[in-house]
Amino acid sequence: MTGLPPDYFVYPHRRRGMDHARYPYRILPRTTPLAWPGGARVALWIAVHLGHFPMDMPLKPVVAPGGMERPYPSFWDFTQRDYGNRIGIYRMMKAMAARGLPATALISATLAREYPVLMNDIAAAGWEPACAGLDMAHIHHGQVAEAEEAAWITEATGLLRARFGDALRGWHSPAHSESHRTPDLVAKAGFAWTSGWVNDDLPYEFATEAGPMMAMPLPQDLSDQRMLHQQNMATEDYVTAILAAHAALDAEAAATGSGRILTLSVTPWLMGQAHRIGAFAGMLDAILARGGVWPATASQILAAYSGSR
Amino acid sequence: MLKTPGHYAYMPWRRRPRITWPGGARIAVWVAPNIEHYEYDPPPNARRMPWPRPVPDILGYSWRDYGNRAGFWRMADVMARHGVRGSVSLNVAVCDHYPEIIERCCELGWELFSHGTYNTRYFYGMSEDQQRDVIRENRETILRASGQSMDGWLTPAISNDETTQDILAEEGILYTLDLLHDDQPTPIRTRSGKRLVSIPYSLEVNDVPLLVMRNTPPERYAAICKAQFDQLYEEGEESGTVLCLPLHPFLIGQPHRIAALDDVLRHITAHDKVWLATGREIAQHYIDHHLAAHEAWIVEGTP
Repeated sequence: MTGLPPDYFVYPHRRRGMDHARYPYRILPRTTPLAWPGGARVALWIAVHLGHFPMDMPLKPVVAPGGMERPYPSFWDFTQRDYGNRIGIYRMMKAMAARGLPATALISATLAREYPVLMNDIAAAGWEPACAGLDMAHIHHGQVAEAEEAAWITEATGLLRARFGDALRGWHSPAHSESHRTPDLVAKAGFAWTSGWVNDDLPYEFATEAGPMMAMPLPQDLSDQRMLHQQNMATEDYVTAILAAHAALDAEAAATGSGRILTLSVTPWLMGQAHRIGAFAGMLDAILARGGVWPATASQILAAYSGSR
Repeated sequence: MLKTPGHYAYMPWRRRPRITWPGGARIAVWVAPNIEHYEYDPPPNARRMPWPRPVPDILGYSWRDYGNRAGFWRMADVMARHGVRGSVSLNVAVCDHYPEIIERCCELGWELFSHGTYNTRYFYGMSEDQQRDVIRENRETILRASGQSMDGWLTPAISNDETTQDILAEEGILYTLDLLHDDQPTPIRTRSGKRLVSIPYSLEVNDVPLLVMRNTPPERYAAICKAQFDQLYEEGEESGTVLCLPLHPFLIGQPHRIAALDDVLRHITAHDKVWLATGREIAQHYIDHHLAAHEAWIVEGTP
């Protein structure tokens, strides 16, 4: 046995703090207290994933949840996802509008071309638009060439800016997947916030070559795609988990005097199903009934965050 | 490669031209038992192996076989007790293998439509002529076994290829179930412009995804089906909706699950604004009364 080469035991980034330069280590309970409007304890950020899933998507090295599982041409997968963009999204809009709740839509940019009517309805609902890449066939990852990745971002940004103008401030890397340089390219394209990293309950500053962006907390463990689609959990268990998260965050906010954020990372092809929309509405009611909730879009939350600094 | 099926237009779930069902019903409910035969020794297909284990997969084979020996009979009795007809998604070779099953379906007034010849003969990679031949042979078999015209189609294992819907329209099929994009019937566009409609099938309240893939216990299966019905019943006040309940006798006909089916059908039939229909009836009603309005709304840009 010769064992591993000597450089396997070299640790060039072994030091206090992070092993990259995107952000410093920050301890949640020692974070500067945050004040939400009206003295609310918990900001409710509803982030809705509006994805387009082309049937010819590459299946390596990263496939988004909801990507093609059946052999080509998988009408099976495509049409179940597309149901969300036709029907599920409208059920969710109706449930949120009835409760006066705004949302932030994380949009596959090609939907602006495919379904302009849907874009109009999102704008009319007062939702904040954000760019979730070109579509679910264009997952950013470490093996995408820089020029190609930059071209994807330029095209995606162009499609959504043409419809939403300066209201487009946020970027979400589809399937929470990025290359080393994705944040730099996204910041260069003019985005103010991003939500691909799942490492905090509160916003923080994310360094890029083009200046800082704000990172918004979009949890993986509480996402409906993770729990309902990948982990096959029951709707009731999803709701229980969200309400438990809200109870814990609410108690932390009360104890520390610092606001918290409950993020709902939700997906029309899951949450907008007929058998699930009632549970979604009931969950929203249960959250609102506890009081101290400030429903807000990402940009509203970030404005309040900056104001508290 | 196609990016999208390209067979339907975008129709947002608001302000659609109203669908009305016979008798003032809010919802059309149709039950689609998949009566299937998975072959003991099927040929391979380049895109999908028929069985997870090397042939003979005696566990997989005999599990499905249970459906034809035991599950079907139990399931059919429960449906009959509730006065619910089936629209059979039929592997038409069942007509040859188990004519007793076809006799029972006919005796109960059920519709038969094609789910291909065997569930182990995928459409992946068939030439257009081969697809056409299978469709024509299936039509002859269903006519011979039941006297019925074959009006509906669900490709075996939803293994349709790029041109399958085009061929279905050219062969005069009334409705396809290969697309899962909606809770109402919708127009289907094909290359010839010949008429074809989609009516809702379901993978959300389908016993295979729920019981096998998502590990759902029977009581929760029933709760999900009832929640699906309740929502679509409520929405149907605005414009008629469709609930499809797909069944597989080898799953729902198991003794520990049959009460869940009984529960779901009791819940549905306890409501008064329900049209208990077959696939053919839903497709024909939509074509006769609502297809033109939907098409016109699409042309207007779905205002």
